[in-house]
Amino acid sequence: MSSAVDHTVPPAVAEEELFRAQVYALLARLLARAPDAAFLTALGDLAGEGGEFGAALDRLAEAARGSDPAAVEDEFTTLFIGVGGSERTPYGSFYLTGFLNEKPLAELRVDMARLGIARADGVTEPEDHIAALCEMMSGLIGGEFAPEDGDTVGLDGQRAFFDRHIGSWAGRFFADLETSPSARFYRAVGAVGRSFLAVEARAFDLAA
Amino acid sequence: MTRNAVKATDEAVEQGKDTKGTDTQGKDKSLARRDLFRAAGLGVGALGAVAAGVTAAGGTAEAAPAETTSTGYRETDHVRKVYEVSRF
Repeated sequence: MSSAVDHTVPPAVAEEELFRAQVYALLARLLARAPDAAFLTALGDLAGEGGEFGAALDRLAEAARGSDPAAVEDEFTTLFIGVGGSERTPYGSFYLTGFLNEKPLAELRVDMARLGIARADGVTEPEDHIAALCEMMSGLIGGEFAPEDGDTVGLDGQRAFFDRHIGSWAGRFFADLETSPSARFYRAVGAVGRSFLAVEARAFDLAA
Repeated sequence: MTRNAVKATDEAVEQGKDTKGTDTQGKDKSLARRDLFRAAGLGVGALGAVAAGVTAAGGTAEAAPAETTSTGYRETDHVRKVYEVSRF
């Protein structure tokens, strides 16, 4: 691990790009498992900075303040794990083909290998889970992975990854989450994800 | 509880390159992107409360990553906040 004590942000990495990485990391965290009491408390302090995304953040904070940790845990289980089938199936392959472990997952694995990303030890879920994909985007933005061909993953690479593995379905997933019958806290998470991905897609278009 | 879904592959780590997720394109384009993010409410620091809150609420060393990549990666304050937020 680096022992650098320089706390300044490298000027080469623009602040808004780091912020994107933070939002992806936040979504990954919320979709990988239910937030505990401490994390809910922290989320309750969020304050948006205007726009649709800012409003979604405000609603997330409000939802966090009004949520009991045990209830959120139950909600998470019903939504994503469930007994006899969960309410939502947050996998790219499922959204794109109607089945798990289909061709979209195979294509993702090829790209992951090329980009220097592997499934973590002990994880058995397919890599096209929305939380894993958000984690990958966060890592790509932060320069955490070293691609096979030695190139850095710039905006072009991020866009290609986003378009192939996220943009085609994750917006629908987040919209579904917003309207899931059992969702309370996670409705707000759905709104944050949907509005963020919409901004991401527009921003990639600008950079094209 | 610190489970990650993904990690950098070993070979990639060994190559140790200085990678950055930065814009290598024209300045106009990156400014346009910046304006878009700002207008959309994705201002820098909007998540600051979460990062700080998790830290204050006891998100201590157990949540901090000791693994991940060791090269081509700079653990800035920002990056550490990302990890704190996400409990990587």
